[in-house]
Amino acid sequence: MWEKLVKRAFRRSIWVYHCNSGACNGCDIEILNVLTPYYDVERFGIRLVSSPRHADAMLLSGAVTRPTLPLVKKAYQAIPAPKLVFAIGSCAIGGGCWYDTYNVTGGGDKAIPVNYFIPGCPPRPEAIIYGIALALGLVDKKVAPVELKQMEFPVDMYRQTKLWEQRNVIYKLLGEEDDRYNLY
Amino acid sequence: MAKKEELRELLKAELKDDFIGEELAGERRLFVDVHNRALVKTAEILMKQGARYQVGVGYESRKGGRGLALVHTFAFDNDALIVIVRTFAPEDNPEFDSLTPIIPGAGWSERECIDLLGFRFKNHPGPKRLVLSDDWPEGIYPLRHDVPHDLMPPATRDVVFRLEQPPPGTSIVPFGPFHSSLHEPAHFSVYVDGENIKGCEYRGFMTHRGIEKLAQTELTYNDVPFVAERICGICGSVHSVNYAQAVEAAAGIKISRRAEFIRVVMLELERLHSHLLWLGVAGHLIGFDTVFMQAWRIRERIMWLAERLTGNRKTYGMVIVGGVRRDINKEKAEDIKQVLKEVEREMLSLEKAIINDKTIHKRTRGVGYLSKEDALKWNLIGPVARARGIAIDARKDHPYAAYDELEFEVPVVDYGDVWGTLVVRVKEVYEAINIIRQCLNKMPADGPLAIDLDAPIPSGRQALSVVEAPRGEAVHYVLTGEENKPERWRVRAPTYANLQAVPEMLMNNKLADFPIIVGSIDPCISCTDRVVVIEIGLQKIKVMRKEELETISRKMRFEG
Repeated sequence: MWEKLVKRAFRRSIWVYHCNSGACNGCDIEILNVLTPYYDVERFGIRLVSSPRHADAMLLSGAVTRPTLPLVKKAYQAIPAPKLVFAIGSCAIGGGCWYDTYNVTGGGDKAIPVNYFIPGCPPRPEAIIYGIALALGLVDKKVAPVELKQMEFPVDMYRQTKLWEQRNVIYKLLGEEDDRYNLY
Repeated sequence: MAKKEELRELLKAELKDDFIGEELAGERRLFVDVHNRALVKTAEILMKQGARYQVGVGYESRKGGRGLALVHTFAFDNDALIVIVRTFAPEDNPEFDSLTPIIPGAGWSERECIDLLGFRFKNHPGPKRLVLSDDWPEGIYPLRHDVPHDLMPPATRDVVFRLEQPPPGTSIVPFGPFHSSLHEPAHFSVYVDGENIKGCEYRGFMTHRGIEKLAQTELTYNDVPFVAERICGICGSVHSVNYAQAVEAAAGIKISRRAEFIRVVMLELERLHSHLLWLGVAGHLIGFDTVFMQAWRIRERIMWLAERLTGNRKTYGMVIVGGVRRDINKEKAEDIKQVLKEVEREMLSLEKAIINDKTIHKRTRGVGYLSKEDALKWNLIGPVARARGIAIDARKDHPYAAYDELEFEVPVVDYGDVWGTLVVRVKEVYEAINIIRQCLNKMPADGPLAIDLDAPIPSGRQALSVVEAPRGEAVHYVLTGEENKPERWRVRAPTYANLQAVPEMLMNNKLADFPIIVGSIDPCISCTDRVVVIEIGLQKIKVMRKEELETISRKMRFEG
């Protein structure tokens, strides 16, 4: 459904707005780099615009720091719907290596809803183009989604219950001791 | 060497009892411990001797007794000497004399100490909060040892700040925090009278990520170089090399000559791509996108080369304490030479197009002018200073790594405007190519890449390292600590020294030239913010708070 919607809403060229929420410049120069002759995203109709009000999509780079948190939210609100958000680089995805310091609130998804994540430190220009092209349906997804397996060691393997069969139950088992014992 | 003895004798004679101790660390550094009350006097003596103020570092001594310490460093560029003045205060009364009245540049470092360590400064012209966000509660100082690195106190709302009035007859044009001419979050409030700029206010510190705190709590010595690279995505190697040099100096480690040459190659490759990047951005800022496209096309070859050499286009991860991680073998050297040949050829044709281009001349000549005297007063560094006739370059003045063996010129011009910075940077591109070629020829054929550290790095030692970044001199100060981690690591990026002079450069220029003037210092907000601070005390540039910004925007809405 989402894919269809995106294909309909952004059928022609999308204009992107680059928002630096506290990045180290690495991702920013790679974003600028995709405009230059070797990569040239304008051939896909992708254009960098300087105002969020002109944009269809937002490229977020950098961990969201404490002072920029409200500003990022405001910039997101200024983009007319329907809108897409790409988190570019490790910092924008999960906060990077300073995800928990005193002045960093975390990744981009702590501030605004993020639709696509483009990993890398910094991501290569090819990766950025691929990510956007994937979102627009210009290319097919190349990898099958991998289900993450939770680590099992803190829970007693021999006392698996029905609850244990469900996915992600580990958090419940770890967090709420009572639940576990209620089952017996 | 003679200068060092001379200064030592002079300080001893002048300070008498206030001269507590000294530490002669190598030929080029002089550590002096002075009494708290004699700090201003010491600074005055040193400044009279022709020193250039570098940075102030505050730290909390973990081993009890000495309490809180404040370090000011002074560079003597002609004598390759750096004097480091240390002073101490008890923990319950961390009060120091402010150097800001006599050295304007010290205000930044002092304000950082107020924010992060809770120091107090006598006679400071504007001890406002700077680094931390507006809603950070009072009384919590992140760099104190008892504050965990991941403390996230709830926001306080009742923060009120006085609004500075713009000069009469002017109106305000806000730039940023997110603005197309600024690639990083920072706010400039520009006062304009018609089209003419009459002043400017600045509010930065939006990219402060608490890296220094991270280094002294979570990371070990050899983790830090990789985090240091991520201080800035453009001049990452500068920071990692600088940090590694500081730790090596503190621990007395001598790395192999070959590793030093490889470090120089990486530093100069970085300078190459950084200057081409600046050239492109400058072209973009004056609306000449062809230059942007061409400069970045040339630059792309260097990015590919970096990927082949190190495995990543940026944040190379080459440097560790004790050496480097990857070799440059014969094939790679050939590869570098080949790429340099192409870059040089393409650069020559681009230069030919730029040098005689009327549009560029009209947009850059006489724009952002600053005289040599003013540039000296503001302690400018890097290409910004070299465009104003000041021959200052840490590679020559304070040689590090393998630069003492290399022959190169420091391009200096005296245009004093944006055009001058462009000329300097274009010339430096050729110098960088020249330096890399020399490195590849002079590099010793063998030698370990990284030496094994057989003994743990002793704690309590201090060292300071200087590296010439593409934007100017970057300073790292390291105090070694227990448990295999630095106790204090302080970074001073080049942008913050240059950013002070921006209001002066902006004066009486046209508003349309604002982006290129700010761009001409090649601002790297992420470096500066991790570090510190912005000057208030100079009347021209002030830090603004959220409430002030809101008031301004509200006012403007009513008026407009």
